[in-house]
Amino acid sequence: MISIDSSVMNTETLDLANLPAEETALEIRNLDLRYGDKQALFDVSMKIPKKKVTAFIGPSGCGKSTLLRCINRMNDLVDNCYIDGEILLHGQNIYDKKVDVAALRRNVGMVFQRPNPFPKSIYENVVYGLRLQGVNNRRELDEACERSLRGAAIWDEVKDRLHDNAFGLSGGQQQRLVIARAIAIEPEVLLLDEPTSALDPISTLTIEELISELKSKYTVVIVTHNMQQAARVSDQTAFMYMGELIEYSDTNTIFTTPKQSKTEDYITGRYG
Amino acid sequence: MENKNLNKHISGQFSAELEDIRNRVLAMGGMVERQLEQALDALGSLDAELAQKVIEGDHKVNGMEVMIDEECTRIIAKRQPAASDLRLVIAISKSIADLERIGDACVRIAKAAQEKRSNNQQPLLVSIESMGRHATRMLNSTLDALARMDADSALELHKEDAKLDKEYEGIIRQLMTFMMEDPRSIPGVLDVLWAARAVERVGDRCKNICEYVIYYVKGKDVRHVSYEEMEKEL
Repeated sequence: MISIDSSVMNTETLDLANLPAEETALEIRNLDLRYGDKQALFDVSMKIPKKKVTAFIGPSGCGKSTLLRCINRMNDLVDNCYIDGEILLHGQNIYDKKVDVAALRRNVGMVFQRPNPFPKSIYENVVYGLRLQGVNNRRELDEACERSLRGAAIWDEVKDRLHDNAFGLSGGQQQRLVIARAIAIEPEVLLLDEPTSALDPISTLTIEELISELKSKYTVVIVTHNMQQAARVSDQTAFMYMGELIEYSDTNTIFTTPKQSKTEDYITGRYG
Repeated sequence: MENKNLNKHISGQFSAELEDIRNRVLAMGGMVERQLEQALDALGSLDAELAQKVIEGDHKVNGMEVMIDEECTRIIAKRQPAASDLRLVIAISKSIADLERIGDACVRIAKAAQEKRSNNQQPLLVSIESMGRHATRMLNSTLDALARMDADSALELHKEDAKLDKEYEGIIRQLMTFMMEDPRSIPGVLDVLWAARAVERVGDRCKNICEYVIYYVKGKDVRHVSYEEMEKEL
């Protein structure tokens, strides 16, 4: 008798519209965003489930990176950026005046398109966030460093040269190092903004493999231009177009039987 | 198919490739249709020569299947089709398997046509012939539905198979009477029985193809589902 593990193909589907609070990591409610006069997001509402990988896809300029950046208030740094609506983390609006942005960003880590290690040793890169938090205990830092590097699937490659400069690593290794840095402070949510677009195919696969491991501990939200990557790594996919959320559903549905013709046109390469 | 605007890919080459496998599957369908007609003609007129032609023609059908399948594999590997494109490739890849099996059924009918038989078995063949015409019509409409990717007529055709099954049961009863009346007729009757079975299987294969058409158009897998559930789903 052959036993079939249903988790391998992941055919589980969540009712995203009626996701119960305990399974929801983030809830975006009626989010509008304008850069000056130009509106970039139109009334986006969605619930992002806990410990799953959610992908945002869409053509350039559709607002997917903007939406991702809203989740840890990166857009605060942009002049003329106005935001309406709410993003709830633990039931609290992160745009509330009382919210400490630094604390929010500890909870919601982010990794960018190009790996951006600091010009320091591998070790110092990983423990940087902890040092900022005032942790100085050597043993604690050592432990966190190993745990994070293992979590980012790069430990075996760097364990013998932790004190070498991080710039000596390859692009794919640097990106995993940056992910290790992000998870060292144990955030709940990890935002990945096109994390593999500057990497070669093999490094890309390593990162994708890593993403599927990360979701056992973190809620991962990823923006990607590579549709096949979204299909491979994500559990939910949101398709955005011209600042609107067109369709948000489990990835299997989006890639086999999308409901909206715009989604269909985009993922089959008919957009344009 | 029109509403699925097959030709609007940014990559014109991709559109051309999908169009190409679609055309080939229709060509293969036409080939199988001709095989079935000729096999039934051969059976009706006990024309051993025509039957031989059908038997020899089967390798072309087989070749078509292999060729289209390779093409489908290549498209999946190189283009990573998604959504309706993916469903189209899968539907085609499955349809050609069924078409090939219809081709095999034609060979079986043709072989029955080559058997020498006594005159008192002639009436048996007549009843197969009418069932055969029915199967041909069904195949013809199925290929039509496939060409137009018409889920509604595919659903209608799906029902049609039940009628063919009824006819088959009728023939079985008739054949049993023959065998009981004259045990010496059993070898000959068995040949006819196999031919009838082959014709009945053509209906089943058509039904499968209709399910793939529905899968492509509606994105719903309607295999092993009762007609009522199917109607409700669509």
